[in-house]
Amino acid sequence: MAKTFSRKRIEVLVDMPLLSRIEKIAEVAGVKHFTILPTRGGGGTEGRWFDDRITGGAGTKVIFSAVTSEESADSMIKVLEPLLDEYGIVVYRSDVEVIRSGKF
Amino acid sequence: METFTSPVILFFVLGALAAFLRSDLTIPEAIAKGMSLYLMAAIGLKGGVQVAEAGFSTELIAAAIAGLILSCAIPVVMFFTLTGFGRLDATNAAAVAAHYGSVSVVTFVTGTEVLTQMAMPSAGYMVAVLALMETPAIIVGLVLASRFGIHRANQDRTELLRETLLNGSVVLLTGAFVIGLIAGKEGFEPIAPVFEAGFRGILCLFLRDMCRIAARRLREARSLTGRLVFLAILFPVANGLIGVALGALIGLDVGSAAALGILAASASYIAVPAAMRLALPQADSGLYLTLSLAVTFPFNVIAGIPIYAWFAATIVTG
Repeated sequence: MAKTFSRKRIEVLVDMPLLSRIEKIAEVAGVKHFTILPTRGGGGTEGRWFDDRITGGAGTKVIFSAVTSEESADSMIKVLEPLLDEYGIVVYRSDVEVIRSGKF
Repeated sequence: METFTSPVILFFVLGALAAFLRSDLTIPEAIAKGMSLYLMAAIGLKGGVQVAEAGFSTELIAAAIAGLILSCAIPVVMFFTLTGFGRLDATNAAAVAAHYGSVSVVTFVTGTEVLTQMAMPSAGYMVAVLALMETPAIIVGLVLASRFGIHRANQDRTELLRETLLNGSVVLLTGAFVIGLIAGKEGFEPIAPVFEAGFRGILCLFLRDMCRIAARRLREARSLTGRLVFLAILFPVANGLIGVALGALIGLDVGSAAALGILAASASYIAVPAAMRLALPQADSGLYLTLSLAVTFPFNVIAGIPIYAWFAATIVTG
């Protein structure tokens, strides 16, 4: 079995117009590689939301997903924490195992 | 009455029925987005070609100035009404007011189709007025928010300016208008089959889908109050009638005066929501999108446009 290394996965559910700000925060925190995932819709404390590209993406949410070091993950969460309510974002952090440690 | 037998309006009604009966009749989001881009390109091109044919006129400049004045004044009046009668906080009131000062391309396109059917077409230069009215209200809304609501300036002005001025709908509308202006009638002819023959059919399908989105948003609305719904209907009527009266005052023809009223009455749900989400993330996007898209837009398509057209025909030719 291949040797694996522990890293952190950060996922941020964010409204499309605010995505560029999350990308900047990640860049400053040292997160080099990430993926943007589309969503179809969902529900939360504010009710249901849907993929709605007609309204300039204001009603559309995407997921920013990155695997990074614990240090970068902590640094990113520290900046995101005060923005949780203002931006209406949801942030997850989880443990993952990667094979090529130099990539993350 | 002819408005209500128009396929454009009937498709809109079909969309409403399907949405409220919870039919699975949907168009993929990517196709709906493509149709909106097609409609914007077509309306911009046709407007540019018409101005190339007719030439620049004093009416064009007067209409542009009137549009800018409306776009700046409407959010101010709305803001104080929303914070007073509407009982909204200043940040949300500023965000909602910015939507109503800006314009809805789809309402304008539907309105111009209806006006053409009523034998009172608007001048091509009204497309330029439409493009001009897209952004000033965003700036007025942000000034109101920083003066009366949140006092923290937006973190990245370059980002906001880019979103406001280079928003896809603004770029496409303005760009297509300029292309039409440069190409003129002869240059437009080879591509006319794409942008003219399919225009009404695509508009029908798009309106059906817009109505579905509006109805879905209305069903899921959490923060609507009776007062806000009342204002979302009162304001388009008041703004529309003022727009028509202003158009008549500056000497526009009946169709163009009606189109100015339609622009004043409409509320943005394409350019402004994205800009407000960036600049005022504290504001409730569910609130401003529901008011503009789910209340004012259908009201204007079904009832507002005929009212503004009737008023224009009454005061301009009367």
